[in-house]
Amino acid sequence: MVALLHPDLLINLTLRDLRSQYKRSALGWTWSVLNPLVAVVVYSAVFSLFLRIRPTVGDPSGLDSYAVFLLVTLLPWQFFVTSLTGATRAITSNSSLVTKIYFPRWVLPTSAVLARFITVLVEMAVLLVVVALWEGHIAFQWIPVVLALMVLQLLFTVGLALMISAANVYFRDIQHFLNVAMQPWMFLTPILYPLNLVPSDRQLFGISYRTIYQLNPMVSWAKAYRNVLYDLRFPSAERWLGIVVATVVVLALGFRVFNRLEPRMAEEV
Amino acid sequence: MVPPTPLSAPGGPASPPAIAMDGLGKKFRLTHDRNWTLKATLLAGHRTRYEEFWALRDVSFDIPHGSTFGIIGGNGSGKSTMLKVLAGILRADEGTAVANGRLSALLELGAGFHPELTGRENIYLNGAILGFTARDIRKRFDDIVSFAELDQFIDEPVRNYSSGMYVRLGFSVAIHVEPEILLVDEVLAVGDLAFQKRCLERFDRLRDEGRTIVVVSHDLDMVGWLCERTAWINRGGLAAIGPSGEVIEAFVEGGEEAGDPVSGAGLLSLGGLGPDDLVRSVDLLDANGQALPSATSGGPVTFRVRYDAARAGETVIVALGLYRADGTHVTSINSGASSAAASSDGPVEVDYHLSALPVQPGTYELSVALHDSTMKKVFERHTHLVRFSVEPGDGDHQTGLVALGGTWQARAGGT
Repeated sequence: MVALLHPDLLINLTLRDLRSQYKRSALGWTWSVLNPLVAVVVYSAVFSLFLRIRPTVGDPSGLDSYAVFLLVTLLPWQFFVTSLTGATRAITSNSSLVTKIYFPRWVLPTSAVLARFITVLVEMAVLLVVVALWEGHIAFQWIPVVLALMVLQLLFTVGLALMISAANVYFRDIQHFLNVAMQPWMFLTPILYPLNLVPSDRQLFGISYRTIYQLNPMVSWAKAYRNVLYDLRFPSAERWLGIVVATVVVLALGFRVFNRLEPRMAEEV
Repeated sequence: MVPPTPLSAPGGPASPPAIAMDGLGKKFRLTHDRNWTLKATLLAGHRTRYEEFWALRDVSFDIPHGSTFGIIGGNGSGKSTMLKVLAGILRADEGTAVANGRLSALLELGAGFHPELTGRENIYLNGAILGFTARDIRKRFDDIVSFAELDQFIDEPVRNYSSGMYVRLGFSVAIHVEPEILLVDEVLAVGDLAFQKRCLERFDRLRDEGRTIVVVSHDLDMVGWLCERTAWINRGGLAAIGPSGEVIEAFVEGGEEAGDPVSGAGLLSLGGLGPDDLVRSVDLLDANGQALPSATSGGPVTFRVRYDAARAGETVIVALGLYRADGTHVTSINSGASSAAASSDGPVEVDYHLSALPVQPGTYELSVALHDSTMKKVFERHTHLVRFSVEPGDGDHQTGLVALGGTWQARAGGT
């Protein structure tokens, strides 16, 4: 069973992505810290200072900080986006490998996601420590829950990455479509603002806006991350159910689609 | 990947063959406009229009365990497609191809290397892609490095490697995977002579250990020398199979009937040139630059090789090898530095002019190779590319190998 997962191949390809990512750049790994840092400064200025969006006050933590409110969802979101954009080209950009050597192709998009996962693990750890020192907001006892959420998000992302990377071999429009889709997707997820700003009293075809809004599976993750790391509260059973169902469905569908599209990949890539 | 299994004993008649092909067929889709966009597909309402082309059809034969097996055929005959199907890269559309044992394919050396990573990191990466665990690699690491002669450079990024170092490392990793079945596609001619010799020694050792080696090559001499049995693939089907000598003979003769000339000069192409080859044409010309169907012993002749200099991208040295039809090597010559000036963006013509062709009448074959300026790397090698006849000249009759072209003089008296 373990051999089926090709751990050595996954590890080596993940290391390849991680090692080559910042080769020949002067700042190297500093870039992976600079990126969320710049984002949090810009978003805080625009949304907190100019648009005056108030973060919800953490319950029961009592925390009231837009930067922390933002970062606990922004980091997982950036992991999601960079994983998908990286994984889209995972097969097409490795065409020399795919056409010359046989190995299970699913490891290509999966290792692309894994490399970003390692990065976000480090980022989240740094975030917890900085927030603890800065705000005195101790979330360490919640680490197992955060890890569970992150692993589920990893599996969900792998499922999507499998679908997208395989489809992109046949339709190169996918990679462009993805770039277009990620921006609205971010704004339709409660990352920059709290969920309670989405109206629940206005309706579309008899269904409230907030209900429709919550069909987006990323809403569940954003809300759950915020529960654990900002409110210091265990996410509701409803959230967990949404997360687990989305993960299982997308992962199973991902492998199914990938296996269907795999046989002719070497010809089309 | 196939999990490592203990090496089975060299096959008796009862043991299953290393590779069994049964009614194997593989088709490709030739799309005329490669407009694979979502929009085009949606607007067309169905899949993009394409023509089907069977690169392989109805091929059935077995490759026994512990044998060295050659696959020959002209360009585009389907032999590389067959290798890719056997390697699992392409999926058969018809029939089956079953490999019994751990299989490794050498289709392109260093295909999995990442230029920014060091040689050391790439060994682990490439090994993992070929199905090795980190522990397997660690055990063989020193052997891999010393076989590739890269001890000094192993912690350098491979983008700094010369092309020779690059393929040596690729070959070394692949050969140390120690598969039960090794598929090799035209990758033996790498590195310098000493390295090639060690590669062939390694093949001998693999063979002695009872492993199965399948070699696809244009180099008939090498196939004949290395392989016990050979299959000749022609137009996607099995044309002949049997002991290498017989099959190669049949192929060389069959090439006369099936082969289409490289140019209109009446030259006979044996191997043929594909659209991807750098060499575009080979011609025989008379003194006025007119294409000749054949040459004349003792007469003037020019060998003209046209190649695509734009795609070669660097200075190319053209080498010609002249063989008699019975395989006797007459001579090999290369253009050396004299053609170095002739690098350009388009096709380049290289002429080798002889004022008197110094060979006896008969049938001859010409091999053409393109090297880089150091002669270390071979861009392309077309062995026995064209066949032409040399007609008797005006002079007296002679026999043997060469036409000396001397003159007789008889004088009365003397001192």
